Amino acid sequence: MALNKFRTKSPWILHYNAGSCNGCDIEILACLAPKYDIERFGMINTGNPKQSDIMLVTGPVTKRSRERLVDIYSQMPEPKVVIACGSCGCSGGVFRGMYNCEGGIDQYIPVDVYVPGCGCRPEQIIAGVVEALAILEKKTKDMEGSVKLHNDPIEQDGQTNRREVAAVI
Amino acid sequence: MNNSIIQILLIVLAPVLGGLIYGVERKVKARMQRRIGPPVLQPFYDFLKLMDKRKMMVHSTHAFLGILHFISLWFALAVLIMGGDFILIIFLHLLATALIILAGFSTRSIFSHLGANRSAISILAYEPVLVIIAISAYMLTGSFDVSALYASDVPVLFKMPLAFIALLMILPIKLKKSPFDISEAHQEVVGGVELEYSGIFYEAVYTAKWLDYIFCYLLVFMFAGNNWWLGLLLVALTFIYINALDNSTARVNYKQMLRFSFWVALPMAFLNLLMTMFHLI
Repeated sequence: MALNKFRTKSPWILHYNAGSCNGCDIEILACLAPKYDIERFGMINTGNPKQSDIMLVTGPVTKRSRERLVDIYSQMPEPKVVIACGSCGCSGGVFRGMYNCEGGIDQYIPVDVYVPGCGCRPEQIIAGVVEALAILEKKTKDMEGSVKLHNDPIEQDGQTNRREVAAVI
Repeated sequence: MNNSIIQILLIVLAPVLGGLIYGVERKVKARMQRRIGPPVLQPFYDFLKLMDKRKMMVHSTHAFLGILHFISLWFALAVLIMGGDFILIIFLHLLATALIILAGFSTRSIFSHLGANRSAISILAYEPVLVIIAISAYMLTGSFDVSALYASDVPVLFKMPLAFIALLMILPIKLKKSPFDISEAHQEVVGGVELEYSGIFYEAVYTAKWLDYIFCYLLVFMFAGNNWWLGLLLVALTFIYINALDNSTARVNYKQMLRFSFWVALPMAFLNLLMTMFHLI
């Protein structure tokens, strides 16, 4: 459809701080401020997982925040994209191997785009978000793809078992 | 507003028109902050994107109440455009808001409850003023019908100027604009009652906001009588006033809002009622 090309024009952002030092958070907020004005691409910082498409996560995942991280991620409706912002978010950074932190966000939720840097620069975040938009479009297309039937239903204990029938390509 | 074709077109195209107003508003707001701002058609891009999202709902009643909110608001707007009973219009608008408040209370999210509470307080702040404006209009024209106001030769603005000022005071509450945006305060309650909506169900609530713009600006337009150019001028000035106010003020708390509404806006509307009753203007 011709309307499909407008899909990526309004990515709404959810920003979550998983134990970051606030350096990357300030850079993300700088993106929204007049100087970089990320809203010109249609992005809003919603702060509501149920209405957002792109999740920007900063910080190494501290043990207190990992449950919330997974919780928030699972509340976002598909299609969704996760961007790890900053060195800590990508790999754990200087906190890697400490007793109270994990080594990066991808140990808990799947990450699509990594934005490195300690504080990642606003230009880098914008570039990362633009990259995420391509992934978002691909994911939306995949959701619309047809489902192929792989196996036939099997008779099991006198009942028809259809559990293994469908598998997404 | 005599032409029935224009009326029907306006009713059918109300969401599209409201979306355009919202788009222009976002652009104007961005320019006021020296930003470039999103494209004018941005609300429609949001609309198309929300259609593609996975359909998640908290429970079916919640989603149903959101859709009913949209429908009843559209109905209130239709009655206003057709020039129906002013009291009925206020009642239908109240019904729409009551439905979304019910939806807010039907979930277990604490922010949704807070937003619903604050929406109810907002009703308490703006509803009495609107009712008194309606009674003033009755005193002026001898009928509760809005069509009598649309048809009046002398603009209603000159007959009841204080009512117009009172309306300007409560419009930020109705449109959920700063300094009276306590019911959807994004930094405090993350949108309030609309919090638990997502995907295609959020679309109903999102589009209802556009309808609210048309509703409020039509109330302003009503004050120009049958002079359309004056009406459009009033709407444009109100648009700039509301956006400038939204950009330049901070949020007050609900007590301050109620105090302002009861001690400033309501007495002003009441004074206007007395002046209209005794034909002082």
